Amino acid sequence: MKFPIAWRLGLVLVMAGLLGTGLTGYFAYQASREQLVNASEERLLTATNVLMRQVTVALDDVKADVQLIARHPQAARILQRSTPGFQSLSEDNVAKIFEGMMSVHPEYFQIRLIESANHGLERIRVDRGMGGLLRITGDDLQEKGHYPYVFETLQLPAEGIYVSPAMINHETGAHAGEERPALQVAAPIRDAAQHAIGLIVINVDLQGLFAQLAADLPPELKLYLANTRGDYLIHPDPSRSFAFDRGQDARVQDEFPAVAAKLDEHTREGWHLVTANLASSPVALVAAFDQKRILGMQGGNGFILGLSQPLASVLAESEQLASIIFWIVLSFSALSILLAIVLARALNRPLYRIVEEVRRFSADGKIGTLPVKRKDEIGELAHSIQQMEKQIQHQIDDLQMQQEMLDHLASHDSLTGLPNRRMFLDRLEHALARAKRQNEQLLLLFVDLDNFKTINDTHGHAAGDGVLQAVAQRLRGLLRESDTAARLGGDEFIILLEGEWNDAQIAQMVDKVSTALAAPIPHQDIELHSGGSIGYSRFPQDGHTASTLIAAADQAMYHCKTSGR
Amino acid sequence: MTARARFFPFRRTMLWLAVSLFALAATPAHAAQPVLRVLAWPGYAEPEVVESFEQQHAVRVELTVVTSDASLWDKINTHAFDVFAVNAAELQRYLAANLVQPLVTEDIPNTRKQLPRFRDLGAIPGLMRNGKAYAIPYTYAQMGLIYDRRQFPNPPRSINALWDKRYRGKVVAYDGGTHNFSLAAQSLHLDSPFRIPPEEFPHAAARLIELRRNALALYTQPEEATHLFLRHGAALMFANYGMQQVHLLKEAGADIGYVIPQEGALAWLDCWSITHNAQDPQLAHDWIDHLLAPQASRFLIERQGLSNTLSDEDNDQPQGKAVWLQPPEDTVWREKLWARIRSGDRLSRVLAQ
Repeated sequence: MKFPIAWRLGLVLVMAGLLGTGLTGYFAYQASREQLVNASEERLLTATNVLMRQVTVALDDVKADVQLIARHPQAARILQRSTPGFQSLSEDNVAKIFEGMMSVHPEYFQIRLIESANHGLERIRVDRGMGGLLRITGDDLQEKGHYPYVFETLQLPAEGIYVSPAMINHETGAHAGEERPALQVAAPIRDAAQHAIGLIVINVDLQGLFAQLAADLPPELKLYLANTRGDYLIHPDPSRSFAFDRGQDARVQDEFPAVAAKLDEHTREGWHLVTANLASSPVALVAAFDQKRILGMQGGNGFILGLSQPLASVLAESEQLASIIFWIVLSFSALSILLAIVLARALNRPLYRIVEEVRRFSADGKIGTLPVKRKDEIGELAHSIQQMEKQIQHQIDDLQMQQEMLDHLASHDSLTGLPNRRMFLDRLEHALARAKRQNEQLLLLFVDLDNFKTINDTHGHAAGDGVLQAVAQRLRGLLRESDTAARLGGDEFIILLEGEWNDAQIAQMVDKVSTALAAPIPHQDIELHSGGSIGYSRFPQDGHTASTLIAAADQAMYHCKTSGR
Repeated sequence: MTARARFFPFRRTMLWLAVSLFALAATPAHAAQPVLRVLAWPGYAEPEVVESFEQQHAVRVELTVVTSDASLWDKINTHAFDVFAVNAAELQRYLAANLVQPLVTEDIPNTRKQLPRFRDLGAIPGLMRNGKAYAIPYTYAQMGLIYDRRQFPNPPRSINALWDKRYRGKVVAYDGGTHNFSLAAQSLHLDSPFRIPPEEFPHAAARLIELRRNALALYTQPEEATHLFLRHGAALMFANYGMQQVHLLKEAGADIGYVIPQEGALAWLDCWSITHNAQDPQLAHDWIDHLLAPQASRFLIERQGLSNTLSDEDNDQPQGKAVWLQPPEDTVWREKLWARIRSGDRLSRVLAQ
């Protein structure tokens, strides 16, 4: 009983409970975590898409500004030259428009009106300087005909617009824009014959533009911008921005390998994806990228815009969830343990009571209480055990009764019901032992019936038996509870009397017995007369052992009979 | 069976999780690998060459590519490189500034396979100083003229074709001050393209402004040049990268010719040098030796159209006078003026102090 079955059952229940809650918790966590991660990825992608839309909208605004000026009749008129006074006034007016635009758009580095003649000489130019806007004039105006934003723009078809690839502006004298990342947006100025005679070009501060757009992003989101080849233009680590301009490689696809496949597809349309850089970065990031062609950029070029978020912050929510699930699992596990204990005890206790009862019953044979009133298997078991106990008890009672009967038969004379010789000797021995110990006396009376043989022969054995029974009856009536009368056999009886006996008392006793024996004994219609001879012996005077005492009493009786008393 | 089967992926997931967490934690140990910081020109150290070196020496190569002498000078002056490729002329200012260290040629056994004229370092001006070698020749090229056969019935003969008004807007020029001033000096028939007297600078600058005005565009990289040449139907191009550009254009299907002008083509000899502050000079010597092995030298011809220093038979440069580059009189001044010219300044502005 080292490991009771109820406890084993309880343990199985606990294990099942723990496994159940544990697995449920784990899979719930997995599923929810996946959903959370998906949701954050979705948010990230949405934010990227929105930002990309803002970029295109912002660029559309720049294009609109460029076209607004390029199509303004004043612009064409300046290039077609008129009287010097009017020319100067027109140029001042256009410069004022430039300045107005630049003060509204802090992301504009420079607005210029460039003529196609004179090797692309700048005619009107407003730069952003350290202290404010600068109108560049005279010798400081440069010839830009060899720059793509000039020769490409001049070749554009009607309504065309030019957007340069993002680059570092190495043009000297560009003031705030010098050696800074920029984007040139240009549109041709046409004369009445639709010939391109010049262009308007706005240099857009790439970082300024994106700083504005990304201003509302949460600080943990980092912005990436790359050209369509994957070269970083903006990266959280500034040393990776425009690495190509310094002769180095720093590309999106190297940091986020999933992008490489998209770049290889050469899709004409844009694409977007969410990826993670688990392998290539010390800080795991989840990033969303959105690629769009920018209308006006050559060769279907555009931007790849990305936002990244540390994986840890994406998972932060799911960590919280994990701790909630952990506590739920823990408390349900505790509950299952508790339930298992209660159940084990509920099962164990009645079983234990039954076991105790059976043990006790086998020890003392008495029927105790059992949970018999239960309506379940345990009640049935208790009931069966009780039935069995009753049956056993009944059988034991029977056995005892039979034993007593056998004992009585073995120690008593069946005719008279008096103790037989064997039992008498037993009692005498006991009495002798007691008397010796306590220094007491014993008196033995030996009785032998007279005329018994005659009665037997004359009236039959039934009459003899009647005489013996009657004698036994009378002897019993004479004696105290402590005294013993026994039939030694035939017509011989013997009486053991304990206590002090003097001679007178002995004589009186012998007389009483003699009188009792002498009285007639009715048998059927006649009276039988028996009478008896009595001899006695005393302890310690006449012997110290049973046999000597009996022999002495017998001797005395015989003496008496022969003396004819 | 099914319970077992369902159970296993879960265990595998946990295992994977544990392993990847461990891997994540263990990542910084990777940074302990020695690094060789190489500064080279496009195509000098192909990925296979770098990879085989990394494998043979159990190091990581940090390759930075430069596209102009000015950029090379700036970068070496950051003292963040071990070994770099520089042309023999440019090397002189690095020597003067003590930016390079003498080489132990015995540690570069592959030099014995080079052509005799490249093996005799003393015979090439500028590679030795005080009896010590400072550079090992690696590749060379002449800067000829690429022309469109359809626009040129006969190949251009002179460098002055670049200034020919007939090809205005059809000339593609190189965006580099040092070479362009040498070109201007050749065009002006000065004594030496590398020794422009101060009084000639205004002429040279004016000549370069003329070149700029005649040019469609300026380029810095071979791919960019190819793109410009094809997209705008250019007629003539100064091939700063020599045969490399010829190959690129022919691959793109252009019908072009390549000539060495009668004035002679500027020719550069690029060498490997080790910086004064190289972290592991022995490793840098190993790098040079590795690049003189047949693998890298073959790539020079096959992929870049450059010539190697191992064999004349493989090289396919046209014949013509080579004007070996020498250190110019004042690189800083040339570059400063050129930055202004490139930006579109007119002569008065270009020459301003």
